[in-house]
Amino acid sequence: MAAYDEWNRIDEDDDDELQDGAVFEGKRDVILFAIDCSDSMHAMHDDPMYEDVQTSHVLTALEAAIQVQKKKVFTGPNDAVGIMLFNTARTGESIGQGVEIKAGNFLYQPIETISAPKVQELIQLVEAARADPNYLRETFPPLQGNRVAMGDVFTSCNWIMRDGAPKTATKRVFLLTDEDNPHSGPGKDRLTTAARTTLVDLVQAGIVVEPFFISTDEKPFDVSRFYSSVLLPTNIIDDDEEAGVLPEALSITRIEDLLDQMKFREVPKRALFSVPFQLAENLVIGVKGYGLVTVQKKGVYKYFVDLGDRMELAESRTVWLQRGGKEVPKDALLSGMGLGEAAQGKKTQDHIDEEGGVTRVTAAGSKTFYTADEIRSFRTLGLEPQIKLLGFKDPDTLAFEDNVKHSYFIYPDEMAYSGSKRTFSALLKTMEKKKKIGLVLALMRRNATPVFCAMLPQAEQRTEEGIQTEPPGMHLIPLPFADDMRAVPEQFLDAERAPQDLTKKAALFVARLAVKGGYSPDSYPNPALEFHNAQLQASAFREEFDPETFEDLSLPKYDMIHERVGSMMKEWKEALLQDESATVVVAPTTSNRRKAKTEPGAASTSEAEVRRLYENSDLDKLKLDQLKDYLRSKGLSVTGKKADLVDRVSEWLDNHSG
Amino acid sequence: MTERAGYTVTMFLVDVSPSMGKMREVEIPLPNGEVQIAEMTNLEWALQFVKLKVQEMIYHERKTDQCGILLFGSSNTDNHVSRTQGGYDHIEELMPIAHPTANVITQISAVTPSTEIGDPLDALVVGIETQDNYLGKKKWTRRMVLLTDAENPIEIQHLDRISQRLNELKIRLTVIGIDFDDEEVDYVEEDKSDIKRENEEFYHSFVDTLDNGVVGNCAVAIEEISRPEAKQTKSQPSASVLRLGDAENHPEEAFEINVKICKCTALVRPKSFKKFAKISEDVEMRDPDDDEEPTVEYGQLNREIRYSYDPTERPDDEDAEEDDDDKKKGEPQDVEKEELVRGYKYGTSFVPVPENNFPKLETKRGMEICGFFKEQYFRREWCIDEVRYVFAAEKSPLQQVALSSLVDAMYQKTETQKEITYYAVTRWVTTEGSEPKMGVLKPMKDDMDNSYFLWVQMPFADDLRKWTFPSLDHLISSKGETVTKHPYIPTERQLEAMEELVDALDLMEAGEKDEDGNRTPWYDTRLSYNPAVHRIKQAQFHAAIVEDLNKQPLPPPHPELLKYFEPPRRVLKHARLAIDAAREAFGVKEVPKTVGRGRKDGHVRARDDGDEMLLLDKQPAKRIKLSQTQSQHVFRSQHRRVSPPTQRKAPKRALSDDSDTEPEPEPEPQDDDDLLLDTTPAVKPEPRAKPEPAEAGVPPTPSSRSPTPERDRAPGRIIGTTHPLAEFYANTASGDLVSKAVEDLAFVVRTVVFKPFTTRRTDEMLECVRALRRVCLEEDEVDAWNQFLRDLKRRCLDDDPGNEYFWSKLSDLGRDVSLISASEAQRQGGRSDVSDAEADKFLTTGMAE
Repeated sequence: MAAYDEWNRIDEDDDDELQDGAVFEGKRDVILFAIDCSDSMHAMHDDPMYEDVQTSHVLTALEAAIQVQKKKVFTGPNDAVGIMLFNTARTGESIGQGVEIKAGNFLYQPIETISAPKVQELIQLVEAARADPNYLRETFPPLQGNRVAMGDVFTSCNWIMRDGAPKTATKRVFLLTDEDNPHSGPGKDRLTTAARTTLVDLVQAGIVVEPFFISTDEKPFDVSRFYSSVLLPTNIIDDDEEAGVLPEALSITRIEDLLDQMKFREVPKRALFSVPFQLAENLVIGVKGYGLVTVQKKGVYKYFVDLGDRMELAESRTVWLQRGGKEVPKDALLSGMGLGEAAQGKKTQDHIDEEGGVTRVTAAGSKTFYTADEIRSFRTLGLEPQIKLLGFKDPDTLAFEDNVKHSYFIYPDEMAYSGSKRTFSALLKTMEKKKKIGLVLALMRRNATPVFCAMLPQAEQRTEEGIQTEPPGMHLIPLPFADDMRAVPEQFLDAERAPQDLTKKAALFVARLAVKGGYSPDSYPNPALEFHNAQLQASAFREEFDPETFEDLSLPKYDMIHERVGSMMKEWKEALLQDESATVVVAPTTSNRRKAKTEPGAASTSEAEVRRLYENSDLDKLKLDQLKDYLRSKGLSVTGKKADLVDRVSEWLDNHSG
Repeated sequence: MTERAGYTVTMFLVDVSPSMGKMREVEIPLPNGEVQIAEMTNLEWALQFVKLKVQEMIYHERKTDQCGILLFGSSNTDNHVSRTQGGYDHIEELMPIAHPTANVITQISAVTPSTEIGDPLDALVVGIETQDNYLGKKKWTRRMVLLTDAENPIEIQHLDRISQRLNELKIRLTVIGIDFDDEEVDYVEEDKSDIKRENEEFYHSFVDTLDNGVVGNCAVAIEEISRPEAKQTKSQPSASVLRLGDAENHPEEAFEINVKICKCTALVRPKSFKKFAKISEDVEMRDPDDDEEPTVEYGQLNREIRYSYDPTERPDDEDAEEDDDDKKKGEPQDVEKEELVRGYKYGTSFVPVPENNFPKLETKRGMEICGFFKEQYFRREWCIDEVRYVFAAEKSPLQQVALSSLVDAMYQKTETQKEITYYAVTRWVTTEGSEPKMGVLKPMKDDMDNSYFLWVQMPFADDLRKWTFPSLDHLISSKGETVTKHPYIPTERQLEAMEELVDALDLMEAGEKDEDGNRTPWYDTRLSYNPAVHRIKQAQFHAAIVEDLNKQPLPPPHPELLKYFEPPRRVLKHARLAIDAAREAFGVKEVPKTVGRGRKDGHVRARDDGDEMLLLDKQPAKRIKLSQTQSQHVFRSQHRRVSPPTQRKAPKRALSDDSDTEPEPEPEPQDDDDLLLDTTPAVKPEPRAKPEPAEAGVPPTPSSRSPTPERDRAPGRIIGTTHPLAEFYANTASGDLVSKAVEDLAFVVRTVVFKPFTTRRTDEMLECVRALRRVCLEEDEVDAWNQFLRDLKRRCLDDDPGNEYFWSKLSDLGRDVSLISASEAQRQGGRSDVSDAEADKFLTTGMAE
């Protein structure tokens, strides 16, 4: 119930955590799929995933479009998507947007905010195509003879974007084609030039083209034949969201990788902050900061007004009210201690009336409150947004436990300071070479508070095909302050220790269960989020949701575990139960709580004993304190009469057999 | 120094004898760093200490942190002992023991020196008894703080019994003396009275008989108390289960260890302020006879969430809905929350929230181990959120042995004695049914051989953004070649400079010396206080203590808060040379801030390909918005127009010809401005080249000193649309910007030609085209011209909207404005791949080839 209100209530100057996400909210993302519908794109081949299923590149591309829409609807409910097909003979029956586009291009879905009917329309198309292999070819017949000039494709994209996308949005064209040489005939040069110029038009309009080139064994894709001269060597062009840029890397991918590639691009790249980075006095470069690790939360519900024919979203806003309900404008707000907490002097008096309204009367001209600017200066300590290098340390000085929140990623910003890239690059290389990490002081936004961060260099990593797997840059890890650190509570010190032979038995299954590489986020989609979204989607599609079909991928792979180490764990457990120190009776402490001393090994958590009694239906032989201790050890409630406690213990043991 | 807070009763015993009314000067640091001298009584000064202590208790809102205040030397007698057995005169209980409220601060402020003399030992006895009576058998911490100037006689009686009682009750006594001599800070009071000297000696010898007693100087105590100090919070452990394997279906081959989980780090945020606004300055309300100062009334505000919606019907047209800018918003209409329906947005679709919301994923409480991996693969930068401790349940030997054996097992040695540490991938569900989180467990063994785990959250697939960023080393030119020399790539010299810098700024031995005299690393998280938290706390305290912030502004932050804001001075001193060298080697220049980028109409007409690259990193045109820099540019550019005229020839597409940043920055920093300097021709008094006779038809060129010369120029352009020809001549005359000028004039022509309502500029544009061609021919920009003309033709005839009218006008000029053919180019020493025949018919043929 309270979730949404609470979320709203977070004071703007109280929480900078929230702003990480909020920065994105104002900006919409628009994706236009431009899918090649030529003969070869329509050609049927075996589905790499499923046996006895045929698929085509066009089909896969449309499936990808569905997936992207389905995901986007949660990550950015205001984002818009459109689908244009090119090299098709299908001509444009008016689709509503009134867009005139070039011949050979067909606007299947104009750019619109994603909605359930639109996604369903697409799903129906794909399902029909799966049922009938010729369906797509018939629906979007390939253009015979000539191919459409790429310049025309880009121009069409430009026009569709112009008519459909809000000006402030980030605009991207996902170009899918398997043809590496679209203009092979006469006039090649002219067409290439035209493609290049129209592409520049796109860039000028703030539209980014992200190519997904499909390369197969039969039809390998060679970017150098056409695209490398059209899609400019973009990695020397700086990325600036405002200007819109060409793609950073030419993605050559097999169709199977298409979805994966798109997943990475689902969320448009946006900087969280852009600040000067001071390496030393008068040696300042520009950097932009990104949140590469950002917890994706469930969407919160909103409030709507039912207007009969439609549901209108109700906007919420925070207002400050005087007694009597009069709204106070934001610029008249003052900050201070709670009433009654301030100095009560000769001239200052606080009053609290019966309804709890509180007022303060002071001498005119004397100041007992702070202004918003003053509060901000207290938060920032007068710093302007910046990152300031303090020096370098060894990597092992950054402890595992020195963590309070997610990291940030910084990348040089040549637009703010020319020379940023070479300087940053040199710093990165040097830190890598000398195996050093940095220590910086950072104020990331005007309204934030200063933090110290460890700065970890990350060298670029690319696959053999040249696809970037790790971007070059630095991670900033906010360090905890003394205020944030907590000591080990005393009661956990001096615990019993395991003997060596027992540890050896445990070491066997630890080593056997070791995975290659480290923690792999890709293996763990957030199950709670997916479960929620699946229901939301079913509800939007007016379909039934079957929870049985839902698979929680974050659960351990039990079968694998038991197959590999089941017997080892059993041996370890047996050894553990025979271990002497493990069955030591805990001496009664000075605490009021009495310990069960009746039976050997029956410390508060003598599992075996409780279980034995349970199996003999003798649980009521236990004393109240013993029951409570046992329940406490399981984190269960200890309230109620003895019979309640016995029931609760039985219930737990029912569910935890063994 | 820090102890567990709470469960404490502190008694303040304050001397209010007449001598405490002596005035003193106190330095009050001002926000600007200056120091103001304020006059106050010794009593007021001593009470500052009490106020700060009491404030701290109010602030932390810990109900078990309590205090009581006794005044000795008061004209009243009212205390626990006098009430029960009489005697103990002139001791008044200002505040009975309780958790203080803000009102106490007011009471303290109202305390003034009296006319009686009080006895500190009497006060001590009353303090001890009051405290003991209150606490009874409770084992709380007992503190006693005595504040005095020691200027009055002390009746030394029953001293043994007093100290015995203090020790018996484990009371910690602090005597804070006004201007007491203090060895630690080297303070000795001059002109000390004899009685004070004696009394000081007495206090020292007295505390020596105590298990727990100190004497201190008031100034030192006040300084000490205003130091930031972390609030000690005890983590509340919660019970959970650490599980490996399926305990339900394979109970024999799986295990569950009972564990307790509690926070290892917990982010502390600054406390928020309450909001107020001025309600009235009512003068009418006041009694006209009242000659008090006028007053102002402020009210505390309540926060409320209001909902409103736009009642205007949305047009069906999707366009209108999409286009934010055109959307006409109706007057928002407020609506009561009760009338609203809860729903989710699925894109534009509305999904009502079902009763009790959607069912949640069923989850089982506990930490499940999914597998193990080697420490070397741990990605530190993926850690999310606060870190947790995971201990075996206390008082459960079985669980402790089990957990300890698992921790130990995760530290392994290979046959070659190489140490491997394993981490565990873990899925954690905090309470039954709550959402799972993924994370890793790191085995820990401390110096005392205590075994436990640390747990930190790792991202789900959904939480990781796999964005790509342009490579920093792997640059490719438009020809597909790898570039090794570029302004983005640091040179050998620059790398060396950076190495020097990194070495110089090493902090590993820049900290304090340890016991063995070795320098420790500089910066320690355990000693770094959150400056915002403590600064705001200081501001809140201050506002509570003073009555008028104008007269007593908030002093600057405690130096302790800022100690890590600058690198250590010693390091900086040694790094001076390395810093200077790096600064010089890298030649970084700030690009002046601009007001948005010049994307005017969402689909600007194309420019020459490649020009984007040339200037993306800099927008010189915008630079000149700063009028001061502008004049500097003019001044400098006159010096700099000496580069050879053939410097830049080829079209700017090739990377090697990148001219935005100097490939190898020169020592003098102006060099980076090279291009920028030359891009401000608009401010030059006159175009340098006179129009040639052939240009008789050129429209009059107004002075380039137009009021807004830069406004018409697209970002990065050196030629604007207002006076393109004049600016073109100005730029080509100097010789070194020919390519750029050609490119930009071509851009201007295209821009103007394809704008609506520009037929009135047709003649001017034709002139530009002619001038452009002539320069292209003379300056070996033949390719640029041919490309321009082809593009122009295509756009004029093929595009929609094109400009057929312009093209026909251009064609009328005949062969002289057509493509530059090979023979024509050759005559000027240039080259072209256009045949004469092609050039002849180019203007007259249509587009379809």
